[in-house]
Amino acid sequence: MNAPTPALVARPERLRLVGQRRQVLAVMHQRLMFAMIVYAGIIGLIVLRILWLAAFGDHAGRKEGVVALVPARGDIVDREGHPLARTIDAWTISLHPKKIIGNKLDLARTLARLMPEKTEADYFAMLRSDKPFYYLRRRSPPALVQAINAIGEPGLAIDSEPDRLYPQTSLAAHVIGYTDVDGHGMAGVERAFDKELSDPARRGQPLTLSISSRVQQALENELNAALNEFSAIGAAGVIMDVHTGEVLAMTSLPEMNPNVAGKATPEQMFNRATLGVFELGSTFKPFTLAMAMDSGVVSGPGQIYNCPDALPVYGHVVHDTHPFGRRCSVAEIMMESSNIGMAQMADQLGIQRQKAWLKKMGFLDRVDIELKERGRALNPGSRWGPFETMTIGFGQGIAVAPLQLAMGYATLFNGGIYHAPTILKRDASHPLPQGRRVFTADTSYRMRSLLRLVVMKGTGKKADAPGYRVGGKTGTAQKLINGRYSQTINITSFAGVFPMDDPRYVIVVMLDEPKATKDTYGFTTAGWNVAPVVSRTVSRIAPMLGVRPDKGREPNMAEVLPFVHEEK
Amino acid sequence: MSAHGFKSVFMAASVVGAALGCYLVSLNVASERAKLERVEGKIVLAQQDIRVLQTEIGTRGRLAQLERWNARFIRLSAPSADQFVDGGFQLAALVKPDKHPAIDAPVVLASAPAPEAPVRPVVISDADDTPPPAVAKHPDAADMLHTASYEKPAPVAVKPALPPVEKRPVKSVATVTAKPAKSATADPLAPLPTAASSAKGGASKPVSAKPKDITSAR
Repeated sequence: MNAPTPALVARPERLRLVGQRRQVLAVMHQRLMFAMIVYAGIIGLIVLRILWLAAFGDHAGRKEGVVALVPARGDIVDREGHPLARTIDAWTISLHPKKIIGNKLDLARTLARLMPEKTEADYFAMLRSDKPFYYLRRRSPPALVQAINAIGEPGLAIDSEPDRLYPQTSLAAHVIGYTDVDGHGMAGVERAFDKELSDPARRGQPLTLSISSRVQQALENELNAALNEFSAIGAAGVIMDVHTGEVLAMTSLPEMNPNVAGKATPEQMFNRATLGVFELGSTFKPFTLAMAMDSGVVSGPGQIYNCPDALPVYGHVVHDTHPFGRRCSVAEIMMESSNIGMAQMADQLGIQRQKAWLKKMGFLDRVDIELKERGRALNPGSRWGPFETMTIGFGQGIAVAPLQLAMGYATLFNGGIYHAPTILKRDASHPLPQGRRVFTADTSYRMRSLLRLVVMKGTGKKADAPGYRVGGKTGTAQKLINGRYSQTINITSFAGVFPMDDPRYVIVVMLDEPKATKDTYGFTTAGWNVAPVVSRTVSRIAPMLGVRPDKGREPNMAEVLPFVHEEK
Repeated sequence: MSAHGFKSVFMAASVVGAALGCYLVSLNVASERAKLERVEGKIVLAQQDIRVLQTEIGTRGRLAQLERWNARFIRLSAPSADQFVDGGFQLAALVKPDKHPAIDAPVVLASAPAPEAPVRPVVISDADDTPPPAVAKHPDAADMLHTASYEKPAPVAVKPALPPVEKRPVKSVATVTAKPAKSATADPLAPLPTAASSAKGGASKPVSAKPKDITSAR
């Protein structure tokens, strides 16, 4: 090892070291520069983002979704805007047995005291079960919610969830329908318009029905009174605007409460007005007469038919409840509801023309309305022979829904034009479609005085509401039980139109199996039980509908009165 | 040179200032928007509350319930055809106020001062065509008031002819106290007789005048 000597020139290894250092430094500089650029880029991005947010961004506390009041399901309102169905937030109390920390026996005792629908033992069993979740109460009152909250048990959950409420309870229940637990429509309008009601774009706007709740209430109330008075098993009623086909009121009794739809019996669920089809008897006769007048078979109310006490035809015998036993005019046949006279008219009309007309009026098809509960009218089908034509002429052998009957009367009295009934209000978004002509305007006009005659002097006297010019036709049909017409059990109906000098509204009411009472002198015919319902209902609703009573106005009765034989 | 050096500083400062100003404006707008949204949120919440309350009121006052109350307590019923009238004229024609004989409404001039009462006509009457002697003897302002009245002088129960002057106050008290039974049919809303017999005498006049107008109009 030599001692270090002063070097005159750098040693080559030293030179090599300097070169290495420089290289290392350059690499370090490069790396530092790269890291700096990366950091500067990140900071630049953040700054840019902050500037962007400051200029165009939303602030931190912004809440989404509360800027508009859109219910979870659309409201249903009546034609005046009164709510018939609404979705509100309701308190729901539920139980999570796994999360219970307190004494289960005590808790069960408290729950049984607060919610007595279940016993202590039931609650205790629920608390000890392995199920993760129970509903204790839906739509619970605030006081109960407060009491449950005061228990302070984490296993008891209180939530608010959207709930369908029907403020008018059973009013128009069969029209509105109801929803299931998940909020889907199960019947009525709720079912028919489920898509519109749950569509987020459209549910903000309420669905406006043609129903008028005041008219509906009057009809339900009067019909329910009759149902109780005559101990009928069911009833149905329809009130329609003859010009637009809007259903102003439609009811089916016994009623149901859509708020607790699960408790309704099948009998209550059944919509007799649209789903049920019934042989409605003599209320059909005006159609036969109108067909006969339109096709020229009957020239006018003065035409004379032979009306014996009984009419043997095609191997059967036709009877009358009030036999004439003489020659009688068409006006009298209508007034006293003579089957024998009508059968002859229908016979002259013939099968083909009758079928064609019934088809045009929609009596051979399903009920034409938006609801899904639609019955199909029944007719003799392949057995439709000359005798069936006669019986259909006076309303036997054809079964239609009460709504269809109302539709038929609307067609007959609005000038003869068929408009499909609708449950939605006619307005700009739902205009009146082009109708189809069924009867001539002249026939429509001449039927007015004939049906007014029935109420003034005939079978429907009790349907008259003073001043409102009610015209209409009673119908008492024997009920078909096990394939045989019962002699004692009836379906009674009345189809009326008011005011008869310028028809605006049609009302159809029907009672299923009414019983005789002391006041009806043992009768169960329509003139005694449903006709008074029409009278009372019309007196109540006509002022609401803007029909002015006037005792001085009548349709042109001079057309029919000369052909009525007055008993001296 | 130095000015040139500061120029860039000024430039930078003004740019920073402008940017800051822009930012402040934007911040202001954002905070205003936030306030607006909070108010909107409150409105929606209030609307929700209104809706719930309306629903509750609607449910409690549902038509079936109103009908039940009506049937049990109020007992209103639909108007009958006769209750509709064509217009104001027919309505007025239906009203036929009872015709009160003027005897029910003698004019008592309550404005008369008490001391002069004996010498003034307290009850106007033409049962006897001759005027009361006091009037004849002492014509004064009270007589002129009587003459200007629209009241058709009406017969009072026949009195004994020409009562003496000193008896008259007694009689006037008797008529005033006897009046309530009769005038109750005339005007049930009039004040009590002892308090305002003058008001009654005045009020009964137009009522008795009205039927005349209507019949003449018809």
